[in-house]
Amino acid sequence: MWDRKDPERLEQRIRLERDGTVTALSGKIDFGQGIRTAFAQLVADELDLPIERVHVVLGDTAQVPFDFGTFGSHSVAQETPRLRNAAAFARRQLLERASAKLRVPVDRLDTDRGAVVDRGDRRIPYVELLDGTPLTGPIPDELPLMPDSRRRYAGQPMPRLEARDIVTGRATFVADVRLPGMLRGAMVRPPGRGAKLRSLNDEAARKMPGVVAVVREGDVVGVVAEREEQARAAAGAVEVEWHLVPVEGPSADVPMRSDAGVDRALARASLRLAQTYVLPPIANAPIGPSAAVADVRPDGATMYVGTHRPFGVREQVAKTLGLPEDKVRVLPQITSGSYGRNTLGDAAIEAAILSKGAGRPVLLQWTREEEFAWSPSRPEALLEVTAGLDPEGHILAWNYDEHTNVHTAAGLDPQVLSVTSGRNAIPPYGPFAAKVTLHLEPTRLRTANFRSLAAAENVFAIESFMDELAAASGQEPLAFRLRHIEDPRFRRVVERVAERSGLSGGTLPPRHGRGIACTVYHDTYVAQVAEVEVTASGQVRLLNVWCVVDPGQTINPDGVRNQIEGGIQQSASWTLLEELRHRDGRVTTTGWDAYPIATFNDAPASIEVLVEGDASAPPTGVGEPGAVPTAAAIANAVFAACGARLRQLPLTRDRVRNATAS
Amino acid sequence: MKLTLTVNGARRDVDIPPNATLLSVLRDDLALTGTRFGCGRGQCGACFVIADERAVASCLLTADQAARMEITTVEGLARGEELHPVQRAFVEEDAMQCGYCTSGMLISAAALLARDRAPDEVAIRDALAGNLCRCGVYGRAIRAVKRAAS
Repeated sequence: MWDRKDPERLEQRIRLERDGTVTALSGKIDFGQGIRTAFAQLVADELDLPIERVHVVLGDTAQVPFDFGTFGSHSVAQETPRLRNAAAFARRQLLERASAKLRVPVDRLDTDRGAVVDRGDRRIPYVELLDGTPLTGPIPDELPLMPDSRRRYAGQPMPRLEARDIVTGRATFVADVRLPGMLRGAMVRPPGRGAKLRSLNDEAARKMPGVVAVVREGDVVGVVAEREEQARAAAGAVEVEWHLVPVEGPSADVPMRSDAGVDRALARASLRLAQTYVLPPIANAPIGPSAAVADVRPDGATMYVGTHRPFGVREQVAKTLGLPEDKVRVLPQITSGSYGRNTLGDAAIEAAILSKGAGRPVLLQWTREEEFAWSPSRPEALLEVTAGLDPEGHILAWNYDEHTNVHTAAGLDPQVLSVTSGRNAIPPYGPFAAKVTLHLEPTRLRTANFRSLAAAENVFAIESFMDELAAASGQEPLAFRLRHIEDPRFRRVVERVAERSGLSGGTLPPRHGRGIACTVYHDTYVAQVAEVEVTASGQVRLLNVWCVVDPGQTINPDGVRNQIEGGIQQSASWTLLEELRHRDGRVTTTGWDAYPIATFNDAPASIEVLVEGDASAPPTGVGEPGAVPTAAAIANAVFAACGARLRQLPLTRDRVRNATAS
Repeated sequence: MKLTLTVNGARRDVDIPPNATLLSVLRDDLALTGTRFGCGRGQCGACFVIADERAVASCLLTADQAARMEITTVEGLARGEELHPVQRAFVEEDAMQCGYCTSGMLISAAALLARDRAPDEVAIRDALAGNLCRCGVYGRAIRAVKRAAS
């Protein structure tokens, strides 16, 4: 589903500009993962060009090739071969042009930092080979690529290309876009999901200062005014009556693995253990609430948005406005990280409706309360695991039932359920007979994509349970895992993190403990050790985290470290603090006071990330894997520190105290 | 309502609705969009500015109150093209991901370093505790402030 059929054309990927710079094009989006920088590194190397002359355009639907969306930590893995091939093809065309111009065979020519050289004595800058004729043509699949010895940027740590704009405040985030004649919008919200508009009286609102229009389309109501304060004040003055129609999510049972003999093996196991793990719903909780700028004209629309899916937003907006898709241009802007939330184009659709109604460009930025109340969230999960061990302490059989709700905007598409809502439910261990079943159960909460989807939930259960099995059979958590890992790359990250953190040796102060957890996430291998202190009152303090990650060939090692560190820090916040509360489908925790996340004071003293990629393996993603094993590493560390086994997140003081007492 | 604000060392005249916040005036009247809206309740730090030497939430100050203060926004930290030491350090440590909270962190850090040239880690954490970051760059930001101080 992520691949297109036709070969890509060079002009959709690489453009040599008249000023000698090169524009590289991709449908992927950078929310802070640093892919813009990684792509520039790849193209600069393959085209043999100083990186300062590479300009990366991401997601502009008028320029870039179709892309399904930025998620699943796939960007670098998918785009690396495409961009390298495209750049290599561009370089070959430049060499061929130079060959014709100089009347020397191609094999006598080479490139050097933005120019074609003829054995060093003649030098033609690429731009002089342009001659008004753009580089073009279908990109061949197999092209000779630059040898590693000639790649100057890939593999080197690079500061982010946007860094200077960000620290000077010049970076233009979505809500910073200013267009001539632009107005501000504010929505009138119903009391719950799925509400139908019964009546509307906007007489008073229309007369308020600055108000340009009260817009209604179906059940969507909003106000457009000269200033945001005015739009908000007037939105509060629109009198509306709603009819509440309860919304329930879908349900389904999906067998993910059904080996023969699981029940029989469990029955004859010499040790059998069954446990249940529970995770609450949590919020993506971006620091910047959803925003969009829409400029809708009678003959077309331009949208400035933050999105994972520019082409998806184009489709949604075109449908909303009744325009053909090619009349809608989506221009993704730098945006607050949203960790999956922006897969859905809520603000964009609303802004488009407001702009159409007002006949002028409109900026809509949600309030903090709206962001909590109306965004999709990561659904809750309840995970039941049973395993049986043989007398030597090997796992014989494994039964796993995942109960959760839909984890993506794709909903119930049976083709993707097992890799979305059921992501990482199949344990990375073997060999043993396993049965794994995903049960999607209805919820009234609006749920969708959040960093790693269900993987962080499943891996919390699986990795906590591995520790429990080890304890029940008198084995060390590390050794028990290694007995069930065959893949050498997986073994290596587990062994390395144990070694690096001193997991097996040394003594810790009282009430301190270390725990290990690991996983394989979309072919990225990651293992972590967390060290915690559990205070006498039951407070869990995360002190240190060690992580070893193998994402294959690494393009920007510091970018990888930053992503993994961030994943760990965010996941520690989920684990220790976060629980979204909702009633009748309505989120009730709608501010940072009711939904606290980790602050500077909660950050561990250190997060050490070793990037030990297998250079012979293709690059894999790093945006999500760091967040996946952290919860179990912390819970396992709590057990090591005080003997309390916590099977429910977040690890609050009350839960720790109760578990210690029992 | 007509007011004169002192922002980044310059006097700026504005004509705004009464009770407009400093944040909305910076962003919508003065085109200083580096100061960001995060929550409107002073709980996240995205909109921090330096007001008379202290880092404060510009969403909680009315422009009227701010007119009596010297305001510095993230755009006012650098001197021309020369970055403020905290800006340079944040770039060098790559202490950002999406960058939405970065302006606020830089403001807190700059205010801290102006009153304490060599803060220890506890002081750094305390000074930045009002700045939420969802991407999780706390560790790098602490390193960056230490680097800027040295």
